[in-house]
Amino acid sequence: MSSSDERVVAVIMVGGPTKGTRFRPLSLDIPKPLFPLAGQPMVHHPISACKKIPNLTQIYLVGFYEEREFALYVSSISNELKVSVRYLREDKPHGSAGGLFYFRDLIMEDNPSHIFLLNCDVCCSFPLPEMLAAHRAYGGMGTILVIKVSAESASQFGELVADPDTNELLHYTEKPETFVSDQINCGVYVFTPEIFTAIQDVSSQRKERANLRRISSFEALQSPTRSLLTDYVRLDQDILSPLAGKKQLYTYETMDFWEQIKTPGISLKCSGLYLAQFQFTSPHLLAAGDGSKSATIEGDVYIHPSAKVHPTAKIGPNVSISANARIGPGARLKKCIILDNVEVMENAVVINSIVGWKSSIGRWSRVQAEGDYNAKLGVTILGEGVTVEDEVVVINSIVLPYKTLDVSVQDEIIL
Amino acid sequence: MKALILVGGLGTRLRPLTLSVPKPLVEFANKPMILHQIEALKAIGVTEVVLAINYQPELMLNLKEFEKKLEIKITFSQETEPLGTAGPLALARDKLIDDSGEPFFVLNSDVISEYPLKQMIDFHKAHGGEASIMVTKVDEPSKYGVVVMEESTGKVERFVEKPKTFVGNKINAGIYLLNPSVIDRIELRPTSIEKEVFPKIAADNKLYAMVLPGFWMDIGQPRDYIAGLRLYLDSLRKKSSTKLATGPHIVGNVLVDETAKIGEGCLIGPDVAIGPGCIVESGVRLSRCSVMSGVRIKQHACISSSIIGWQSTVGRWARVENLTILGEKVQVYDEIYTNGGVVLPYRVIKSSILKPEIVM
Repeated sequence: MSSSDERVVAVIMVGGPTKGTRFRPLSLDIPKPLFPLAGQPMVHHPISACKKIPNLTQIYLVGFYEEREFALYVSSISNELKVSVRYLREDKPHGSAGGLFYFRDLIMEDNPSHIFLLNCDVCCSFPLPEMLAAHRAYGGMGTILVIKVSAESASQFGELVADPDTNELLHYTEKPETFVSDQINCGVYVFTPEIFTAIQDVSSQRKERANLRRISSFEALQSPTRSLLTDYVRLDQDILSPLAGKKQLYTYETMDFWEQIKTPGISLKCSGLYLAQFQFTSPHLLAAGDGSKSATIEGDVYIHPSAKVHPTAKIGPNVSISANARIGPGARLKKCIILDNVEVMENAVVINSIVGWKSSIGRWSRVQAEGDYNAKLGVTILGEGVTVEDEVVVINSIVLPYKTLDVSVQDEIIL
Repeated sequence: MKALILVGGLGTRLRPLTLSVPKPLVEFANKPMILHQIEALKAIGVTEVVLAINYQPELMLNLKEFEKKLEIKITFSQETEPLGTAGPLALARDKLIDDSGEPFFVLNSDVISEYPLKQMIDFHKAHGGEASIMVTKVDEPSKYGVVVMEESTGKVERFVEKPKTFVGNKINAGIYLLNPSVIDRIELRPTSIEKEVFPKIAADNKLYAMVLPGFWMDIGQPRDYIAGLRLYLDSLRKKSSTKLATGPHIVGNVLVDETAKIGEGCLIGPDVAIGPGCIVESGVRLSRCSVMSGVRIKQHACISSSIIGWQSTVGRWARVENLTILGEKVQVYDEIYTNGGVVLPYRVIKSSILKPEIVM
């Protein structure tokens, strides 16, 4: 088949409000996929990566958030990227494979030759065209993006073993207790439409088993919820594990960065990774300045055009400043995310922190953390509308929305 | 009249400052601590001050300079072993006693107060006893030695060391006026004036206590040094407020040496002393702190409740607070936070100190 008559669709799983609780307090005010990293909504990064796939016809966001939460974003990104982006709402969580299957008719509408499936909560360079080329060469049903990580951290993810010569997936196991492999599943896949048959098989086998049980077991009668699970299909345990070693699934290894965006702390790291990537993909988004007419900029910094930053401030590295934020004279921002409508007053310092929407940081105050992205309090998080009064110091703390801090705090969660 | 100042030991409680400068020469409100006392003594006509010291050649050399400036005779009485709070009086016997028969003052060098020495002389003459001591009222007498006295006359009845139940709230303020005969009661050996000498005089009904008007503070350790600065500047505000700085960037009581430079957009005060030759750059915030001579505080730094040692540098956007004590020539890098860091001389601080700790 020549690539010119191929059609490709991309599906990005965005989850729902009952997911992403580890992302609190930031996910209290906004769906996690819309939380900005490097000044762009989290989901923007996989979307703009999809835009680079040849013959892409459609991007679907699949999740169980309310339609209205994505309506505005979906219409503006469609306009911006000149590609159709639609939000599809699941009636309930179906799992990543189940979600894909639930919308199979829509996804197959244009008769695509390939379907990309991406999880929204991963941060990586999304080398999608390269993956697609590799997938074609392998000739399998699916290709999984994988990365090598340290042996200690591998067990938090799906560990997999691939043939070193053919790259065929030989073995897959989700979050094993013992070490299996240092290669892990990145949560980015490309499939041929046969994937729907594979999901269908899992689903119908489940139904048969459930029916058998219902007939044979009194216990099953007591527990009718069991049948509800038949359309919940996980991609990893239910599809990847059984199909490993059957010459249907292959791997494509990325040498770039990869993170799972589990917590606000990790999101600060990911924001920095995406800012660094802008040097190659979108240099026009990075700020510059030497303190003469505009603020002194160090390293990779994103400043929204509507934000006002005083020329005597010093910003960076790894800072993103969202819309309508005001950064006062002599302020210092380093390794932080400043959300919409935040005010940072003169001589204040913000380091290793995320400052929530409409928060106010007083004069000579200091919002800081040690910057251990994996620690519970390694990044200071201020929720929406938090006020830090003049000269107050907030260190290694999480502050829930609409609190006023008039005394210094350290290593605390402020409810 | 003569006076003895008990200088005593190495001032370990005021380390790391006293690793560079002998305690009596550590500046308090831009003036060596001991000069506060010597000037007060000079003002009421004392002509000779005897300093009871350990072997401290640097101190002796420096104080010889003040002798000329202040036109007061300064001599030294040097212990070869620690003699406690009374022993040094016996050691200095020949220096203190002359033909005049006049009483002499004994001052503790750690104490800062308004020194109402003239009133003390009048009090001493009026009661006609052998010794007068100043007492000061404290909130928690159980931490100190309490002086139990007859309120109307001031006659001291007894001393109670760290009383468990309330016996009174006046404690020994470390300022005495003694007749020469008191020295006859003291043997030349390590001995305590509070525990051994005064109780005997009190037993003879010859010890009287005067309640110290105004503030009093033992500034022998950093926390009390900073608290004492507030009390001292409050008192200076009432007595000679022209010495205090004024301007839109000043809040409360602030003492700035005329050779110090302060940049734009700073906010200084309350209770701050800035020593000679300091450079405070723009956008700096200082409160409740003492900045010794030759210090440079770079732009946007914020310092509170701390002491910055001689010729130290505090970097841009640094935050120094909560009883941080920087020794001499310490460098705090840009953007560093120090919460209660006690930093020995010449150290370079490149990473934040989040909890109080000592940096050797």
